[in-house]
Amino acid sequence: MFVARVEADRVRSLTGVVFEPDPGLTVIIGPNGAGKTNLVEAIFFGLTSRSFRTSDRRDLIPFGSAYARCRVTVSGTGVDHMFMASASRSEGSRYTMDGAKIEQAEAAGHRPKVTVFSPDRLELIKGPPAGRRAHIDSFVAARWPGRAGLRSAFGRILAQRNALISRIAAGQADRSGLATWDSQFAEAAEALAGSREKAVAELGERWAAAADELGLEGPKSLTYRPGAATTSEEILKGLEEKLENDLRLGRSSWGPHHDEIRVELDGRQLRRFGSQGQQRLGLLALLFAERSALLETGGGAPLMLLDDVMSELDAHRRERLVERLLEGGQAVITAAEGELIPERGAILRVAIADLLEDSREVAG
Amino acid sequence: MSEGPAPLSRLTAELSQLPGIGRRTAQRLAFHILRSDESDARSLAEAIVEVKEKVGLCEVCFNLAEGPRCRICEDPSREVSLICVVEEPADVIPIERTHEYRGLYHVLGGALSPIDGIDAEDLRIAELRRRVEGGGILEVILATNPTTTGEATASHIADLIREQTQVTRLAAGLPVGADLEHADEVTLGRAMAGRSNV
Ligand SMILES: Nc1ncnc2c1ncn2[C@@H]1O[C@H](COP(=O)(O)OP(=O)(O)OP(=O)(O)O)[C@@H](O)[C@H]1O
Ligand SMILES: [Mg+2]
Ligand SMILES: [Zn+2]
Repeated sequence: MFVARVEADRVRSLTGVVFEPDPGLTVIIGPNGAGKTNLVEAIFFGLTSRSFRTSDRRDLIPFGSAYARCRVTVSGTGVDHMFMASASRSEGSRYTMDGAKIEQAEAAGHRPKVTVFSPDRLELIKGPPAGRRAHIDSFVAARWPGRAGLRSAFGRILAQRNALISRIAAGQADRSGLATWDSQFAEAAEALAGSREKAVAELGERWAAAADELGLEGPKSLTYRPGAATTSEEILKGLEEKLENDLRLGRSSWGPHHDEIRVELDGRQLRRFGSQGQQRLGLLALLFAERSALLETGGGAPLMLLDDVMSELDAHRRERLVERLLEGGQAVITAAEGELIPERGAILRVAIADLLEDSREVAG
Repeated sequence: MSEGPAPLSRLTAELSQLPGIGRRTAQRLAFHILRSDESDARSLAEAIVEVKEKVGLCEVCFNLAEGPRCRICEDPSREVSLICVVEEPADVIPIERTHEYRGLYHVLGGALSPIDGIDAEDLRIAELRRRVEGGGILEVILATNPTTTGEATASHIADLIREQTQVTRLAAGLPVGADLEHADEVTLGRAMAGRSNV
């Protein structure tokens, strides 16, 4: 499955922009502010009805306009499907496939998965552990759809236990109710921790290999550091031991909500000691590791949208990245200058200025 | 905005107390009632009074009942050694519709939810325990919703009565997070037939 055509009818600064990416690698080139990120966001929006930049779809509505809309044609399975996403201030949002309303879960079966690199996502490597937990959980959901609910199930139980803890601390409830929530907590925590462990085990070596290939030099590891025990009996025991502390704090101080997925280079955390370029390679390697895990386990190759990925990488590493992208699957990357992209015959180069000119002629 | 005649504002105020009814809807309903036939209005008023006078909770199972006991508890053909535990009276209806179940019920009146301040004492769990301790119960089927609160409630009850009787839980197959009230008959029937020990 690949994206054959993108019609950004109205998305941010783009109106009537039509773009036909290559089934392999396409580079969108244009100066700062030209609309490259907007186009990448439009592809994501048309396919998924969401944005990777904002949780409020209305941000995509062009200034002074009433709605945003993008259509994306997916090919490669014999029948083409056209996805359409729109957002409007007065009418909310719409998401359709071939003209009929569609739910996320159903749409996911008819479109490629999408992996996004954008400079904002470096937060995943640099930021606090919560972002890495959420990311690993979304990989778990993509890899084992039956486990997609574990994260939110644990979250709901945690919220209930926290509520009970603070009511007990305030003298509004007694301790007899805890046993039930502790056992729910322990069961959900075990399932969640088990999935994270399995996911990181699958990704660890792939991550190191991808990082090597991209030129992130030195011994390295991606490891799961559970914030608590990982079997339900041990978790139950731990909850009892930590109860007094929890009551003092008014919340559950121990559990998988303190897990860390640690990324290390030369025995040090990449988030704290890595350079900008190293962090960038670390993130790219993670996205490639996930892609290869999904590919090898029978999922389709996800579409890779890599916004502004070349800056901060030296010429040698840019070469390696392009080689890797040319190995298979569809990718769209953006760059401010064409010279940043190594010369390869297989790459489709698109100047955003040309796309904008075509759209003006049509509107003409 | 003028409030209109006092009886009209009173009716509007009463209607707006109903769940899901805002001030504007309440006003529309009140005007509708005002315009309707005298006999229709009287019939509505009587229905409201009658439901309060005649429908209460069954003294045995806390299902809705016209009189001290509900129809199910009074039906001699029901299997009295089976109790199916549900959260709300509305949850009895879809299970009855499957025709898979011929035992009795126990309506808890909700589910454990510390966030909403609902502890075991707020539910009819002690009453269920008493029924089980009274003897003659071969199986208790926990049919609370497959939600966080429903699961916790089921596990709490299972721990309390497991020693005295066999305890089963509706088979998975109900979509997680779904309410019993919205489960279709086929899924629910299958869940009832394939229940398992807990
Ligand atoms: N809702 C909107 N409506 C209209 N224009 C918008 C909207 N949101 C953002 N823009 C404009 O879109 C323009 C292009 O933004 P975009 O981020 O796509 O540029 P870019 O080509 O990625 O630049 P850079 O190389 O700096 O990353 C910006 O000038 C911005 O002001
Ligand atoms: Mg940009
Ligand atoms: Zn009854």
